[in-house]
Amino acid sequence: MDFLNLSVSTSWWELSKPPIDISTNGHLIDSLFTYTSVLAVFYFILVCIGLFGFSYLYSQKRNKTPLYTYGNKKKHLLITAFIGAAVFLSVDLNITRLSNNDLLDVFWKWPNPKTEKVLRVEVMAQQWMWSFRYAGPDDQFGTADDIVTNNDLRIPTNTKILFHLTSKDVIHSFFVPNVRLKVDTIPGRVTRVWWDANIPGEYDIVCAEMCGTHHYMMKAKLTVYSEEDFKVWQSTSEKLAMNTNNPDDKNLAWGWKWEY
Amino acid sequence: MKRNELQSNLAMTVVLVSAAMLFITLFMGYAVFRSSAATWPPMGTEKVSLWLPFLSTVLIAVSSWYCYQVRLDVARKDFSAARGHLTLTTVLGVAFMLAQSGLWFHLKSTGVFVTSGIFASVMYGFTWIHAVHVVLGLFALGYLHVVLRSPTDAAMQKTINVEKFWHFLGVVWVLMFFGLFVF
Amino acid sequence: MSGGYNEIHPEPTTFWSKYIISFDHKVIAKQFLWYGIIFLGIGGLMALLIRWTLAYPGEAFPVLGHLLFPNSAGIVPPDSYAMLFTMHGTIMIFYAITPILIGAFGNYCIPLMIGARDMAFPMLNMLSFWFAFLSGLVLLASLVLPLGAAAGGWTSYPTLSTMIGSPGAGQTLWCVAIFLFGVSSTMGAVNYVTTVITLRAPGMGYFDMPLTVWGLWLTAILNAIFVPVLGAGVILLTLDRVMGTTFFLAGASATSGSGDPVLFQHVFWIFGHPEVYILILPAWGIVSDLLSFFSRKPAFGAKATALSMTAVSVLSTIVYGHHMFTTQMSPLLTQSFMTLTMTISIPSAIFFANWLGTLWKGSIRFDSPMLFSLGVVFVFGLGGLTGLHLGTVTTDLYLHDTYFVVGHFHYTMAASVLLGGYAGIYFWFPKMFGRMMNETMAKIHFWGTMIPLNGIFFGMLMVGYGGMHRRIYNPFVYDSLKRLIPINQMITISAILMGAFQIIFVINFLWSLYKGKKAPNNPWNVGTLEWTIPSPPVHHNYDVIPVVKCGPHEFGNPNLKTGRDFQYQTEELVEGPA
Repeated sequence: MDFLNLSVSTSWWELSKPPIDISTNGHLIDSLFTYTSVLAVFYFILVCIGLFGFSYLYSQKRNKTPLYTYGNKKKHLLITAFIGAAVFLSVDLNITRLSNNDLLDVFWKWPNPKTEKVLRVEVMAQQWMWSFRYAGPDDQFGTADDIVTNNDLRIPTNTKILFHLTSKDVIHSFFVPNVRLKVDTIPGRVTRVWWDANIPGEYDIVCAEMCGTHHYMMKAKLTVYSEEDFKVWQSTSEKLAMNTNNPDDKNLAWGWKWEY
Repeated sequence: MKRNELQSNLAMTVVLVSAAMLFITLFMGYAVFRSSAATWPPMGTEKVSLWLPFLSTVLIAVSSWYCYQVRLDVARKDFSAARGHLTLTTVLGVAFMLAQSGLWFHLKSTGVFVTSGIFASVMYGFTWIHAVHVVLGLFALGYLHVVLRSPTDAAMQKTINVEKFWHFLGVVWVLMFFGLFVF
Repeated sequence: MSGGYNEIHPEPTTFWSKYIISFDHKVIAKQFLWYGIIFLGIGGLMALLIRWTLAYPGEAFPVLGHLLFPNSAGIVPPDSYAMLFTMHGTIMIFYAITPILIGAFGNYCIPLMIGARDMAFPMLNMLSFWFAFLSGLVLLASLVLPLGAAAGGWTSYPTLSTMIGSPGAGQTLWCVAIFLFGVSSTMGAVNYVTTVITLRAPGMGYFDMPLTVWGLWLTAILNAIFVPVLGAGVILLTLDRVMGTTFFLAGASATSGSGDPVLFQHVFWIFGHPEVYILILPAWGIVSDLLSFFSRKPAFGAKATALSMTAVSVLSTIVYGHHMFTTQMSPLLTQSFMTLTMTISIPSAIFFANWLGTLWKGSIRFDSPMLFSLGVVFVFGLGGLTGLHLGTVTTDLYLHDTYFVVGHFHYTMAASVLLGGYAGIYFWFPKMFGRMMNETMAKIHFWGTMIPLNGIFFGMLMVGYGGMHRRIYNPFVYDSLKRLIPINQMITISAILMGAFQIIFVINFLWSLYKGKKAPNNPWNVGTLEWTIPSPPVHHNYDVIPVVKCGPHEFGNPNLKTGRDFQYQTEELVEGPA
């Protein structure tokens, strides 16, 4: 047994970086994380300076007579109020504003399939697998020509992909670390997520919400194709779907009418 | 205020706040169910006839009135009258429980079973939870019977606390009556 | 409004009435302490099983594995793994932290520190413990059921926790246990709130109360208001499970009519977020006091600290939505919850400033309670600041349900509360049992806890940022997570180390109980009321109810002529320089 493998070539710091960002907007989350971390580290250093510095300077050995103060002088109150205000202005307002803008202008600004080039995908989660449904040639969901795949999502680069998700049984959470996004899939409602990927390759889709014993096995493969490769896959799969989809197959009948 | 009256009142207030939070949570859930449903009651379900819930409301209202009389009697140190009024309160409380049971049988006979969906869940679930509290209230009334049989100095404070709890149950029921049955 | 019912209760004589159904707040506190420490051990062992599985999947758990899991050759099976983390969370929160911080310290410190002879309602107090005991039995009983205990996470989200996802009786027993525990907590809260309001010694205003009592009092208020919310939630969940209602079922799983699984999340977190503060407020109070006691100077801005703690309590009631960003609430709600969440950093910054202000120009003694208090400042700093990443919607979209969350809430709820609890135990042990704990062992215990603890929880932040999600049995079925194996092993080894160092605490505790040095009345030279009476106190605490004349943190007054550097609260305040 390799009890503790310390001889890794890269540092732990490198290892704990999030996986490569394959989306056009994931960097917003990464940079906000870095920004928040810088602020947090700054304030934590202040706390540590106070904690260790004062512990050193004012130990019983070095400082025999403590200062008799309640900390309620005007000067003290001003300093305390200043710290409170500094935190509010430098951290809260900044982060809230940035995050708000990102959320409303990017992540929850849903692409409109009528006016933009958008690939729509319906996602159905169940214990313990992911099913994906593409509209097929008729552009309607829930029809016999839909491409339906299990645990296998294939998308093109440079295209906005809009997902509508729901769950068949318990709550799951659709999490793609490489695009930094997750959204819960909830029985009885439809949730949404969109992204635009730009690096072809194969990535993991995981379930982030506890969903039963085999929660950890609920993974799907995300394949990002170049646009040309995706067209090839799409047309092959559409032909295959039209030839093989059995309208009586209950496992295929889960598609719903795409709304809003 | 006497030394332990304050404690007693405070404690009862905390108990009522806790119990109120429980029912507020239920009502909040109800608001969510109703606002997210396209129609209420949902398709295929009919509104419950108001007759039995109305009877329940009258019963618990009158019993609250008698419970109030109990306190007035105790304040006058007229303990035999208090016991009489307390008996009336209790009988009406039991009658309320009978009316509630009638309501559950009525729901069942009209095809609304516990398992028939969210409307039935609310109707049965909420009235059950309230009924359990009424049973606790009936025990409290029984305890007050014992207290008033050989009253001590603390009798008044105990009467006040039981009265508060009984009124609280009445208020919750009236809210349920209007929220669940009338509107 | 002091001066409530405060008579001397007759001293119990039989073993039964003295130690089992005791009405004495000091005995009930010790009952809660033992109860909490035993569950802490159980929960800790579960943590080790969890950690072992994450770092060395598919390998038998050393020593105990074959005993616990004979059917799988000592390897934790996936279904047991789900039960383990569910029970670990439930036990640590409701059956370890709550009894120790609130049950033990609340019962012990409140009456003693405010100069009362007992709680306002001693019998209710006794019932509170026995309801908690019953609840613990129900929970433990669920572990031996054929289908096992609850396995839906301590949050028990439906529809996983309904019959759809958890068919066994374990989840139902979980609901029953939590409800019983809620009843116990509410009973305690009734007592604490009333006691603090009515039984303060004459002369003791609210701001003359030690901050420990402030923390416990605010906790009790939050408990009384929000525990019933969870009560309602688990009642409805139980009805769904047992009676076939559909409050939390929706979509294909609801065969008739539609409830709402997300409603449970709302209900759970309306309770759950205040619960976080319910757990941490007593620790904050203890730390605020101890920093002053061992710096030998008055608590800096004590009033502001008390008010900040109150402000956090109030804010905690309206920020719960940040636990649910990924359920896609309306943008308006999402933004409101984010903004409100962020405002918590203001009062937090203020009492951090006050804590450091207390250390500033003090004359600091590094006794074990002080070391643990300083530890709380350190770990709570880390825990609080990582909350920023999670309270922010867009970063939460990535970090939600990853180990970053696990690291964050362990820093705030587990590490801070654990260290705060140890600080309290080391500090009040002499008063509780009349003997001192061994200081050398205490210091070894501190460093042996503090260093691995940061290894564990900072490691969790790292793997979380690396993309490892929560509650997975084997992270390494994902190729992208394989690179995190070394960090996971570091976490596990730290956890084993930390667990090993807790044995030193247990030895110290048990040894000191019988063989420790006899404690003087006031070993720490502190002026609060409990140190004016013998250690351990007599049954009725105070022969004469003390009259309070000054605040709890009177240290280092240069005008003192008594030869002590502190004043008892019963002494007239010696005027210092203006």
